[in-house]
Amino acid sequence: MRAFVTGIGIASPAGTGVSEFLKSLKRSVPLIMPLSLFPVAGGLLLPVGQVPSFQPPNGIPRTHALAEVAAKQALQGCPEPPDAVVVGTTTGGILTTESLLAADIRDPARYLWHTPGSVGEHLARTAGCRGPVLTVSTACASGTTVMVIALGLIRAGSARRVLAVGADSLCRLTYFGFSLLKLVDPAGARPLDRDRAGMSVGEAAAALLLEAGHEAPVGALCELRGGGLSCDAYHVTTPDSEGRGAAAAMKRALEDAGVGVDNVDYINLHGTGTPDNDAAEGRAVREVFGSNPPLLSSTKGIYGHPLAASGAVEAVIGVLSIRHGFVPANVGCMNPDPDLGITPLLEVKSRPLDVVLSNSFGFGGNNACLVVSGPTADGRSAGLASLRGFRVLGSACLSGAGLLHETMAALERGDDCRGAAPDTAVSCRLDAAATRRLKRLPRLALALAISAREDGGDTACSPRSVYFGTGLGALSETYDFLARLFRTGEKFSSPTDFVGSLHNAPAGLAAIQFGSRGANVTVTGTDDSFEEALYCAGHLSRQEDEPILCLAADEAHGVLSPRIDRSTQGDGPVLSDGGGALLLESVDDANRAHLFPTFLGFPVRGLEVIQHLVRALGGAARICEQFGGVMVGIPWAVRDTANEQLSCFLAETGFPGLVVDYRRVLGQYATVSATACVLGLHFVRNGRIPAVLGGSAENSLGGKGILLLGLGTKVSAMAVHR
Amino acid sequence: MELIDELKVKIIETLNLTDVDPARLTEDSSFFENGLNLDSIDILELAVMIEETYGVSIENRELGEKMFVTLGTLARYIAENRL
Repeated sequence: MRAFVTGIGIASPAGTGVSEFLKSLKRSVPLIMPLSLFPVAGGLLLPVGQVPSFQPPNGIPRTHALAEVAAKQALQGCPEPPDAVVVGTTTGGILTTESLLAADIRDPARYLWHTPGSVGEHLARTAGCRGPVLTVSTACASGTTVMVIALGLIRAGSARRVLAVGADSLCRLTYFGFSLLKLVDPAGARPLDRDRAGMSVGEAAAALLLEAGHEAPVGALCELRGGGLSCDAYHVTTPDSEGRGAAAAMKRALEDAGVGVDNVDYINLHGTGTPDNDAAEGRAVREVFGSNPPLLSSTKGIYGHPLAASGAVEAVIGVLSIRHGFVPANVGCMNPDPDLGITPLLEVKSRPLDVVLSNSFGFGGNNACLVVSGPTADGRSAGLASLRGFRVLGSACLSGAGLLHETMAALERGDDCRGAAPDTAVSCRLDAAATRRLKRLPRLALALAISAREDGGDTACSPRSVYFGTGLGALSETYDFLARLFRTGEKFSSPTDFVGSLHNAPAGLAAIQFGSRGANVTVTGTDDSFEEALYCAGHLSRQEDEPILCLAADEAHGVLSPRIDRSTQGDGPVLSDGGGALLLESVDDANRAHLFPTFLGFPVRGLEVIQHLVRALGGAARICEQFGGVMVGIPWAVRDTANEQLSCFLAETGFPGLVVDYRRVLGQYATVSATACVLGLHFVRNGRIPAVLGGSAENSLGGKGILLLGLGTKVSAMAVHR
Repeated sequence: MELIDELKVKIIETLNLTDVDPARLTEDSSFFENGLNLDSIDILELAVMIEETYGVSIENRELGEKMFVTLGTLARYIAENRL
């Protein structure tokens, strides 16, 4: 199955709507201007890419509003809603949250739009999507990563119409954060220039509607030919100076697209304008294309660097350049740096284009590359033919009781495992000196990763790719960064906290720990983050990326957790945290799988989603035949909806076995489903579920598996087998 | 307290260098490989601490490279430029 672009949309500093944006691309004028979106107390006025005259409708944060504008354009004229939504964002509602924190607003009802996951949910609701809703945060590689995931969904037959969006708004966190890292050019970004001194932070949203087909449908604009993901596994912010990870991503994308280096007509560079990025990218391009690369340019001199949106904006640029037969100019560059070894195009060039390559590289060493081509080009279907299941090579979890064996022992004793994972359990796997800069979430994640790897033992080798899920991200770093910023009148804050606040930082650290240079994806889909991470792995896994490390964690933060995750109220004064990690190998034969991420759905029309879930699992009889128990995640904040969904599930299936709500015993946090999944695997191996979770002392599974259900705002089903 | 002794404590605190004993640091202690073994983010963190505490700002990379060689070079620069 192939993926065709049938709709595009954009909201950017260079225009909102395709026609305005196209004019800006051709005019080749920098549109980076001094920040005016919010006042800066300390007087630091820097040039940014700001969407002019944009007022979000009441109550909706800027990122969500920008995303909606782009999405609506892409969906225009499409008679059916998309059956999947994939969104890349790093900011989520943080611009709004910053104001709430500064004013010490504590009411959780005001923080409903904070999480990155809420952007995906908002778009799904607006578009009427009933299928998988995935939210990805891989820093500046996000916008391209979502395109690669969307392509994976279509090839595997999991979706026929995918809305893929990248969106980020300006906010204080990134505005001051990048400046504290000394990565911002006070004169405005000058990509590839000899005198370049940094990036210009920007905002934007761009959307592509992708449709499945064996050949181009009528009205197809372009085809998404292929994609490649890799990780530098080098440093949390500095790219590998040799550009090896970037080169790997480009090679993978080309191979995936079935396109040779000689067939590429234009490369849209990541080209942020930082000395390090442009240098590493130059080396990577020469490594892949030799001394005679195709025409190339960075377009960030026009609109700045809109972070997660950049890959999506540049995918739109790829489409427009092919449709309108022109190569955009490398605006902002007066004197190309001869040390780069690549010469950017300094003026727009009209010529027919067929194949465009687009690069996006982000902190954490995340690299993503996309190949877009004209719709009439000869295409072939590459990649996976269907969603993969997994064999578990090693596992680990953290709960209020400790690591896996401590948690299992506590459950057998009949003890509650809620609460924050004990420090001793978290720290025992970590090298104190190497982790001195790490706060709670990365410590949880690394402890889990190392434990799972250890559990794999000698029979498994180190993971080559990482899929990380987190509902709320690194709360300590985010809070500490903003608190210090506000306390000092916006003059000072911690660069370490800014870097640590990025949702994909833990995944980057795990990659460095194990030298995992394959795909590296961070998923931030609130209560479904773990399920979505595994679902992505199921669509993207490739031989050279295995074994896979799939993990998920959330931290308990005294101030932010109660405000941002209303479900924490269900635990009373106790705040819980922890997570789970799995070392996995994909399997061809679904019957050999220990774990199968069967279903993700979005409840748009009442309980219809449960009927779809039952169907996806093979029907009532098959469910009762396969599973001896059901472990359900009922997030407290949406318990009424979730309980209704559960009743519907039981009515539809007549499931006779044990049904347990694991959050009552494991705690209320977004990625507790990962903890539950790891425990579920062990329950299945032992043939029974401990009585503290429900039922009686016996609770035999009768040799059958466990069904892991996630209910509430989104619905998920995962099969766990022996 | 002498500036350099104050700096030792502040550096250890800012970067959470819990295994470093301030008594073992000297004027000639290096920030990099054969000394404190700091990376680029650590240096940026120290730059913020120095500006906030002493009012000395590090405008650019070149200046940073001159200041962050040994504890002694850093202490001297701060002493000469502090507010």
